[in-house]
Amino acid sequence: MQRHPAKLKLAGAALAIAGIGSTVLTADEEFHTEAYRDIPAPPGFHVELTELDGPVFADSAGKTLYQWPLHKLRNGYSGEPPGTPQCRDEVLTVTAGLMSPYPPGIKLPELDRRLSCVDLWPPVPASDDAEPVGKWTIVERDDGSRQWAFDEQPLYTSVRDERPGDVIGGTTRRYGGDSPAYRVPVGPPSLLPPGFAVRTTSVGRMLTTDRNESVYAYGGDTATATNCRDACLENRSPVLAPALARAQGEWSLLERSPGMRQWVFRGEPLYTHDLDTGSWSQQGGDAAGWENVFTQKAPAYPPEFTVQTTIAGEVLADSSGRTIYVYRCGEDSADQLACDHPEDTQVYRLAMCGGGSPEKCREHWPYVLTGAEAKSINRSWRILTIDPDTGRTAVEGEPDTLRVWSYRGRPVYLFAGDKQPGDVYGDGAGEWRGQRNGLKAFWLRDDFMDGIL
Amino acid sequence: MGRAPLFIASLLMIACAGARADDGRLRDGAIAYVMTDLFWSVYQTADGSRECPRGFNDGPREQFEQLFPAHEFLSVEETQLRQEIETWHPTNEPDGFEFLEVEGELSWGLNLDGETGPNDFTHPDGAPGIDNEVYRAVGCIIGFRGPDGVEFIFQNKAILDRVYNRMMIELTGVDDLENDDAVTLTWYRGMDRLLTDATGLKVMPGGTQRVDRRWGESLIRRTQGKIVDSVFTSEPIDELVIPWMNLNVPSIQLFRDARLQLDLTGAGATGLLAGYVDVDTWYYQLIRNDSTHHLSNGQISGISLYKALRRLADAHPDPETGENTAISTALDIKMTQVYIARQARKN
Repeated sequence: MQRHPAKLKLAGAALAIAGIGSTVLTADEEFHTEAYRDIPAPPGFHVELTELDGPVFADSAGKTLYQWPLHKLRNGYSGEPPGTPQCRDEVLTVTAGLMSPYPPGIKLPELDRRLSCVDLWPPVPASDDAEPVGKWTIVERDDGSRQWAFDEQPLYTSVRDERPGDVIGGTTRRYGGDSPAYRVPVGPPSLLPPGFAVRTTSVGRMLTTDRNESVYAYGGDTATATNCRDACLENRSPVLAPALARAQGEWSLLERSPGMRQWVFRGEPLYTHDLDTGSWSQQGGDAAGWENVFTQKAPAYPPEFTVQTTIAGEVLADSSGRTIYVYRCGEDSADQLACDHPEDTQVYRLAMCGGGSPEKCREHWPYVLTGAEAKSINRSWRILTIDPDTGRTAVEGEPDTLRVWSYRGRPVYLFAGDKQPGDVYGDGAGEWRGQRNGLKAFWLRDDFMDGIL
Repeated sequence: MGRAPLFIASLLMIACAGARADDGRLRDGAIAYVMTDLFWSVYQTADGSRECPRGFNDGPREQFEQLFPAHEFLSVEETQLRQEIETWHPTNEPDGFEFLEVEGELSWGLNLDGETGPNDFTHPDGAPGIDNEVYRAVGCIIGFRGPDGVEFIFQNKAILDRVYNRMMIELTGVDDLENDDAVTLTWYRGMDRLLTDATGLKVMPGGTQRVDRRWGESLIRRTQGKIVDSVFTSEPIDELVIPWMNLNVPSIQLFRDARLQLDLTGAGATGLLAGYVDVDTWYYQLIRNDSTHHLSNGQISGISLYKALRRLADAHPDPETGENTAISTALDIKMTQVYIARQARKN
């Protein structure tokens, strides 16, 4: 079976954000969703369509399901081998020394309020009479309880997700070898013909070949006719379909010439760009009439934001052109808990951005403040009320709080060292090149960094 | 004329053509070279005893052990984050560790200020007045020494592997690659992979590079220079930006009064890029591109090194504080001949 996409209305009232510090989402935005293969699932589980990560599995309450894949770190592994839950109801007290040069055994911060892995990542329980279905299996935890797994990886929900369709807990975007062992949302396979793949990026779910070559559409084409011939094909190659390929759902075929059939997605014949210099490229979209193809584009960013050109690509910037940064943090503990959310410990962030001083943090890495009338525009870009002294969320309207823009539930920042549009001097600041306790620029285009979007 | 004399004449013509300094690659008075190697210039003896008689500096790992011998009784804030704060918010205050500067008298580099003073080095060829205070700071840190220092290896790997660092120069108005007293030098960034031999490691002359005008327009610089006995020397460039990438973090180095001194052939150019680098840009490039882990592998304490750079900075005083903001340096640079493919400018 297949599930075909629709254009959904994100009705503001239906998506009102609950919780302290949040404002009501009023965006009434229409966006394409991604088709997926409908695979058998146990009762109570279903698929939620998310803004950033496409279709994901969810439990009966609509909470996104996550896996914790095994991840190689500098001094060992973290995450879970298949079939082996490692996320336990135990408050860890010392570092694991998985990232050099700092040794293991150092006391973790804020032990009096520290939570366990299970507190933050509740296992998805399987009842005593639950039975495996297809790739859905059941694993036994250390305490004898039963936990659902998919593709042999134990499943969890995130306490950071508040509503159906939230993926605040984790992302399917690529992350580097020195990043924490992240939790990753899990979902059904995209409904694609063989030879294609989808990659989550900052600009959307990018359609590529299975060799990570970007695919493009030409504005002069239709589903049944192409205007890209001869010189137009000088640096382009139609993505050809094998003889046995058949039209299905959003996918159809265009016979360019006898026996030469080209894949068509949502009415647009697909091409690769021969001059792309790397995977997940956007270079082929520079020529007039050509665009990358996405199964779904990323949701709109705040309207006052701008896009700036740097010497390394394009970044998202505020209204004055100053680059937007996202803070990333993961602890060097065996459970690799995150420290990048306002409800996580702020000890790491305050150290990095201001030497432990909230005032210096605001000076060096100021929040991106919102206008008084600004409103959250979608799930991904929301307004938070922040207590700048603690870095934690606060009740809107309280004195000395700030209304700030957040992405995926985490505030975004500017860097005082950036003096003019296009400066990205803060990119990679912090531990592990900004990947574990530091900041990364919000890249929208990458021609140089090997697909970091 | 019989066939034999014709054959000999042809061989002579080929031999003469091969003997030209430009190997025939000087076309319409222009020749271009792409950067393939760039190292902070470090004069080093085999065992380091001449320039570093007291040995080499400790790095973060060694300093951590000395600072926190009983780390298991301490917290992340008291140890790891304390060191990271010192790294990311550096000061001039002493850190309690003796910093070992270069003590030898010899250094590669150029006489940037035209003067000879007590702080200057002497070139190994005997020339006095060499300005290279970066060498004085990094020369006794093993990560900056060849052939296996972490900075030595990874920076160069990035130049070969990544296009972000694809800097190249073009010399125009060249009548003769051996002697020409009026040559124009233009710095560009290229867009293309390097032409290599079958190993993928040796860059071959004769490759082609397009000029990056989409992202690299702001990197273009132009100045004048001259060629004497196949050595090209440029006039200083006020601000030269060299893109600097390692491990996917795009950073830069900012050179003030930057100049080139290159031995030219038709196949390549080898020599020095020298000038004054902005101290803060230099330091943050280092720590953004390399985590404390990578620095540890080269025994590079960012905390200690920053203080040394500030102490040894020798140019461009801040108009308000009087503190020097830039430090003299030289880099060993190697370039290989390329042809520049002209393109229409893309807006």
